[in-house]
Amino acid sequence: MIGGRRPLRGRKPADRRVRVERPHAPFFRYMGPGTLVAKPAANVALTPTGRFLARVRAVVFGRPLSNEEEIGERLSKTKALAIFSSDAISSSAYATEEILRVLLLAGAGAMLLSIQVAIAITVLLAVVSVSYRQVCRAYPNGGGAYVVARTNLAPLFGLIAAASLLIDYVMTVAVSTAAAIAQIQSVIPAAYDVRIEIAFVSISLITIANLRGLRESGNIFAVPTYLFVGLALSIVAIGLVNIIGGTVVPIAPEPDAVQFPDPLESLGILLVLKAFAGGSVALTGVEAIANGVPAFRPPESKNAANTMTAMAVLLGILFVGLTLFAVQYGLQPTEAGGASIVALAARTAFGDGSVLFVTFAASTALILFLAANTSFNAFPRLAAILAEDGYMPRQFSFRGDRLAYSWGIVLLAAVAFGLLWAFGGDTHALIPLYSVGVFLCFTLSQAGMVRHWLKVREPGWRWRLTVNAIGGVLTAVVLGIVVFEKFADGAYLVVILVPLLVGMMLFIKGQYARSARELTVTPSVIVRPPHREERVIVPIPGLNRAVVQAINVGRSIDEDVRAVYITADPASAAQVRADFERQVPGVPLVVVESPYRALVGPLLAYLDVLDAAWPPDKESPITFVVIPEYVARHWWERILYNQAAKRLRTVLLGRPHTVVVAVPYRREDAALFEGLLGGERDTDKPAAPDGSARPG
Amino acid sequence: MSDTHAPAFRRAVVALNGGPSDARIVRLVADHARPIKAELIAIHVVEIDWTLPLDADIAGRSEEVQRVLDTAESVAEDYKMTLEPVLLQARDVGAAIVDEAIERDADLLVVGLPFRKRFGGEFAIGRTIPYILQNAPCTVWVVRDPITEEPS
Repeated sequence: MIGGRRPLRGRKPADRRVRVERPHAPFFRYMGPGTLVAKPAANVALTPTGRFLARVRAVVFGRPLSNEEEIGERLSKTKALAIFSSDAISSSAYATEEILRVLLLAGAGAMLLSIQVAIAITVLLAVVSVSYRQVCRAYPNGGGAYVVARTNLAPLFGLIAAASLLIDYVMTVAVSTAAAIAQIQSVIPAAYDVRIEIAFVSISLITIANLRGLRESGNIFAVPTYLFVGLALSIVAIGLVNIIGGTVVPIAPEPDAVQFPDPLESLGILLVLKAFAGGSVALTGVEAIANGVPAFRPPESKNAANTMTAMAVLLGILFVGLTLFAVQYGLQPTEAGGASIVALAARTAFGDGSVLFVTFAASTALILFLAANTSFNAFPRLAAILAEDGYMPRQFSFRGDRLAYSWGIVLLAAVAFGLLWAFGGDTHALIPLYSVGVFLCFTLSQAGMVRHWLKVREPGWRWRLTVNAIGGVLTAVVLGIVVFEKFADGAYLVVILVPLLVGMMLFIKGQYARSARELTVTPSVIVRPPHREERVIVPIPGLNRAVVQAINVGRSIDEDVRAVYITADPASAAQVRADFERQVPGVPLVVVESPYRALVGPLLAYLDVLDAAWPPDKESPITFVVIPEYVARHWWERILYNQAAKRLRTVLLGRPHTVVVAVPYRREDAALFEGLLGGERDTDKPAAPDGSARPG
Repeated sequence: MSDTHAPAFRRAVVALNGGPSDARIVRLVADHARPIKAELIAIHVVEIDWTLPLDADIAGRSEEVQRVLDTAESVAEDYKMTLEPVLLQARDVGAAIVDEAIERDADLLVVGLPFRKRFGGEFAIGRTIPYILQNAPCTVWVVRDPITEEPS
């Protein structure tokens, strides 16, 4: 388009040039033949309220990111370790305590066994992490256990794994938040009374951080994670030095330490298995990296696999080290509201009230809060993959302004807080629900990988298959133990929830499949021009400019246009008819008197009568119902206008062979309206000036 | 000025010809302009022959012409630089580029010298580049395409 500018003069008379305006440029960019790419200006809200809300969103969540910036949002291994491993690493803060709480039932001597139990769990961790390294490499698009089980076993097994994972992630947020609050209580006992409020604030902050995008949440969460890891490793190192130097002096139990039962339980295999099941919470979160492989910088699979190894090594050292420390120093769990084992270990290593102790307590609370962050990354990604496969509503696969899966993030926050609130913010009440889902998906994932290696048989497949088979058997055994030991404590809820979730996902898939079948255009079909007859009905509230505009739109659709005036007042009908026939010649007006003052019912009945009157040997026509609407300028005006039009639109939406056309009349259209009337305007009888377009 | 210093300019005009060298020269100039916060202007001139009026609706209707400037803008954005795109219609491309550069007070004008692979490969210097070299009042960079091995 030439901008209407005069040609610009050059240095010589013939060197004239014209600047060409580019009206698309502020909003779009041509990037290929017939392909426009929208710029940020195309998304700018048009109303002042919309712009204000957009500014608020930009302040809270950051400026919107384009798809091209996705690669810049990818995580380095350092940040990914902080984001995806905070859950696994933080579980070292409470896994030892879960073992000790079980073993103390058999007395102080039995607590010594906690080291062996911790080592056994670490061996399991090693097997599981080696297996998941293989998942990272074999499935670079992420999805973890769900994708592995879906691809190699059956879609149903994939859904079971997905349901287990979704439950696990919700549990992670709830349990880690509860554990973090327990940690705060270790230092500030009064925090117990406001634990639900703290949980709400914490989950809200993590939600906002995640809605700001992956990279920013990595920046926010990396410091506390590495601070915890550094200080926890220091505790382990101090403990080891003292143990090797023979300078360990056992600590006297806290006043609120859990008392040994009287009589003591016998240290049988069941008690040891129960301790094992309790400590196995340490493995929760291990699978998160395999779910989020695409979040890593290239080479994604290799980086994810290496991060997995780093996480497993760190977790193993911390878990066994802290357990060894606790046993050697004779640390005993306390009653609810008391100091946690890890807090007692820090107090012993750094000294009560020391800067390091307080820093460690703070970093422990922080990493426990941030363990929830692992779920905030993994849950939305899994939900997005499920949504892409049609098992969850499609909006879960849409990325928000900051390239985060906003729907998944918000859903996770809401459900986790609801759970925390329902259980009164108690960690121990929540943990029984925790491990079942984790081990179920571990087992399915390992079994799927065994099938995978049998299918692909690439170099080295035998040892890989062996690792996955061992992992599968071990995690299946642990799953059995966990279900057996924790069933009555609440694990039964998970056993009920998994099938419910699977059923829900199958229902959604079925629903999408049905609608897809209904909407499918068969490839062999060549779409021809329409051949059905058309007719236009314009429901009018009288004669005004909006009505005239709607009738003219109707005339542009088809010649068969009729206006329908539904009224409860026969006297007004006569006046409207007289005006209409004089001012809008050529368009028949049908007056429907409605003694019961209804609008919608008589109009629907009139449309039915028209249908019934159509010759039965002819194909039904398409009926266009053209509704005049007055455009409100302000939000409060919306209450005053178009209520009847809205009702009409709603009831006509599902009517067969019917198309609803809303014709908006804007006050700005008034100038154009003069042109609509042409030269036949009758100055004696002007059109209704009130502008009201309400039909009826 | 030492060789190690970045060349100093306040405002650079980049003349685009719609060929593959466009992205290269925009990258080059953006790379130099970013540290010194210089302004970038990209010009694409559509030559209108004498059978048509100068303000004939030609360039505005052509997606291909718009794409030349949009692509340049996109390349500059990769360097976190803002580029002002200017689309011109003129009888003579070289004169339009020089006149626009003068009007915008540019102190650097950058043009690409494409390598034509047909007929064994040659640099088609044409008449635009000589015109610019002779008439532009500011510094002119002519960025030559690399010589490709296999003429097509």
